[in-house]
Amino acid sequence: MSKVYTWDQLFSRRQFIKGTVATAALGASATAGIGLLAPESSLGINDSPAQTPAKGVKHVTTICEQCVWRCGVVAKVENGVVKKLEGNPNHPNNLGKLCPRGNAGIETLYSPDRIKFPLIRAGARGSGLWRRTSWDEALSYTAEQMKKIKDNYGAKAMMFNSTDNLSQPFFEILLKAYGTPNYGTQRSLCFNAMTTGFLYTYGMPQPGTDYRNCKYIIFTGRNLAEGISNNETQEMIEMVARGAKVVVLDPRFSKTAAKATEWLPVRPGTDSAFFLGMINVIITEKLYNEPFINRYTQGFEDLVTEVKDYTPEWAEKKCEVAATTIRRIARDFAAAAPAAIAHPNWRTSNFTNSFQNERAIAVLNALIGNWAQPGGLIPDQEMSTAKLGVLSHPPFPPAQGMRLDGVPWQYPMVPLAYGVIQTMRDNILTGKPYEAKGWLISRQNPVLSIPERQKTINALMKLDFVAVIDIQASDTAYYADVILPESSYLERYDGLIPIGNKIFIRQPVIEPLYDTKSSLIIYKELAEKLGLREFLPYKDEVDLLSRQLKPFPVSLQDLQRAGHYEVKNFQEDHSKDFEFQTSSGKIEISSGIMVQMGKKAVPTWNEPPRPEEGQYYLLTGKTAQHSQMFTQNNRWLLEVFSVNRAWLHTSVAKKIGVKTDDDVVVESEVGKVSIKAYVTEGIRPDCIFMVGGFGHVSKGLKFAYGLGASDSALHKTVTDPISGGSSLSETFVTVRKA
Amino acid sequence: MAVRMGFVIITSRCIDCDACMVACRAENDVPLGNKRNWVKSSGVQGQFPNVKEIFQPGNCMHCEHPPCVKVCPTGASQKRVDGIVIVENSKCIGCKYCIVACPYDARFPNPVTGKADKCTFCWQRLEQGLEPACVQTCLGKSRQAGDLNDPNSIVSKLIAKYPTRQLLKQVGTGPNIYYIDEAVPEIPQGE
Repeated sequence: MSKVYTWDQLFSRRQFIKGTVATAALGASATAGIGLLAPESSLGINDSPAQTPAKGVKHVTTICEQCVWRCGVVAKVENGVVKKLEGNPNHPNNLGKLCPRGNAGIETLYSPDRIKFPLIRAGARGSGLWRRTSWDEALSYTAEQMKKIKDNYGAKAMMFNSTDNLSQPFFEILLKAYGTPNYGTQRSLCFNAMTTGFLYTYGMPQPGTDYRNCKYIIFTGRNLAEGISNNETQEMIEMVARGAKVVVLDPRFSKTAAKATEWLPVRPGTDSAFFLGMINVIITEKLYNEPFINRYTQGFEDLVTEVKDYTPEWAEKKCEVAATTIRRIARDFAAAAPAAIAHPNWRTSNFTNSFQNERAIAVLNALIGNWAQPGGLIPDQEMSTAKLGVLSHPPFPPAQGMRLDGVPWQYPMVPLAYGVIQTMRDNILTGKPYEAKGWLISRQNPVLSIPERQKTINALMKLDFVAVIDIQASDTAYYADVILPESSYLERYDGLIPIGNKIFIRQPVIEPLYDTKSSLIIYKELAEKLGLREFLPYKDEVDLLSRQLKPFPVSLQDLQRAGHYEVKNFQEDHSKDFEFQTSSGKIEISSGIMVQMGKKAVPTWNEPPRPEEGQYYLLTGKTAQHSQMFTQNNRWLLEVFSVNRAWLHTSVAKKIGVKTDDDVVVESEVGKVSIKAYVTEGIRPDCIFMVGGFGHVSKGLKFAYGLGASDSALHKTVTDPISGGSSLSETFVTVRKA
Repeated sequence: MAVRMGFVIITSRCIDCDACMVACRAENDVPLGNKRNWVKSSGVQGQFPNVKEIFQPGNCMHCEHPPCVKVCPTGASQKRVDGIVIVENSKCIGCKYCIVACPYDARFPNPVTGKADKCTFCWQRLEQGLEPACVQTCLGKSRQAGDLNDPNSIVSKLIAKYPTRQLLKQVGTGPNIYYIDEAVPEIPQGE
């Protein structure tokens, strides 16, 4: 019988007990008394790198993965140890700079909490008891379970989840080859409102923004100083520096607001009143671009009728921004056209009316005709991106069955690729329209990302089988049956990434420190065990990348050496900039699909819910020093942002008798947390804000475990039926001194 | 003229992301719990909704008249000919006089080496023609470094063009970090 380890033994002291599955079943607390017998060398693992270090200094060009932005990195390796990461000046995503997270990638690599070998659960699910296993056994076990589920319940009973990453296309091949319709991404927790809002206006989910030439920008849910997207953050700083007008709508005084020319502490959920008010002014005062509207849009007259009553005075009552301010901003914004942008934003899907908000933003941009103009919105870049070689594979089997996340049967307007992950979780629990049985999760942490954490844990406990691929013991991995340890981004290859006329590579900076594999190999070997070998037909990463590179006259070795390849004589294709992929082929001020759905076709006002007396809006957001729920265990980042706190307005703090760093209890309908207070004038008195991603429950993250509080313990599950976006800010809370 | 190394820090370009602090930790193996540089915040000032917040990065000021050097009993704390203030580890006895003497709180006792530790201007990078790590990584180009005596350096050009301030100038340390609070639309080219 294999040895059984607790998290502490696996990740902290590297000691172990002589255990069996039977003793392990007593639970983690019972094992403490059994005695820690053998020296650490018996485990055959060591924190220090196993390989003989190469002598000397070398520089390796690769791509960061401390968040999803994919910045270029040059790693300095000294005698086999990564000593320094610096931005690659040739990479458009970061222009030579790295944010704090990117700089801290070294600690991610050398963290003592890395999962060092495959693990199979050896106690009750969530007990924290594991046994070390071989890759062969871990993958065979995973494949067996997945086959059993498919044989007994059909492929649909198996769910596949992954978050945006360079090897995601290969994960998608695996799930399609397996034949399940159930694919979960993180998008509905993020920017579904923005992508659907723009998709149903421009036929394009995410147009770019020409910051460099822009003279006037309005942000409503894009906090570039704290939600760093490196090159865009740099562009924002340059805009401020050169005196361009930067307006920030945010109930909280974010760091972006601190840099902006104007901060408008809008009432949560009422941003669309602000934009409808602006549209009213622009139409009433005929400040719009008439030739552009006539040529490229449809439905303008319907909009004129709709916004007639949305005067700035009306908007002021809703959003609490003065009518005079709305009028001034509308005029100045139109005067700056076309070098003016109402930013499409990002995670603004925090109210059920956020879809209407995004539609109003999309239409406001159209009214001033900033499409494909200097300083305006930029059409999709895909046309102007180099095309990689692809590997052919047999046709996928048809995916049988309805999707558990309600797309499209419950959410007809949500694109399949986005999904509604919170509904997938809910339907695991309800067993409707059928019972889910298994979950394969790659680099995603639903326990901390989806609202109502306890429900997500309950869903995991209900399943027959859960497998997690990750580099560390995330909260979700903690509840898994098998953990397939991935090599960190500094130790592995991923699929190539073209950006414009350049092709970039993520490649190992050093050999893997432990018994880990790249997800490219994990997916491939799992496919083999599932009898699906022909769908991921590559020998190894080098073979795959060479075939992706085949259309270009460059060898993989040359690409590895240079870090990127520039396609010669590459022509940007702008021929389709004004071909809008909507049902009318025009920018749809009046949406054809909304008409089909029997809904109001032009942007409109939907009254959002408000907290009752004694309750507060719960706001959530980012900090520059951490990425979602991924980096809170990184000690270098904890040095610069050690814990999240609940932001309270001074008047609220006074009322409940707390000062900064006192403990408060924040409670919603679905849960309560204890958290330290941060008392400030920089937030509306009706709001409480906390950075997301803290409050980890995995004991395998020993620096982050129990640190701060998780918003997922408080968030109610409310879903916008149009975009599928999670309406996170419709959670209202009370607060009291702990 | 002799080289006089110093910094210009443009507060209007700082977003308080702390990339400079993490880059310094990596470059200089700064032990956890300690730091050689920082970003300080004014805190949110004023009353809702009329508020502001200023971010002020800093590190050793590499003073003209460094009190840390004056109090050092062994000569470990020194000002190099290029103006960079360093600690020569082999001479440092860990007495911490210098740590107390520094009015900017720029020094700490290194728990690994037992010596006084501080910003070295990343002189090991300067020798290779590289910028200090904090300057190299700064997203906002808020941190700039160079020879204050060279009129063609970025720092000299910035000081010539914009009003500057120094911290605790009145105590006579002659700090060599010059702060610019105004908007700086373009960073000048320099040597």
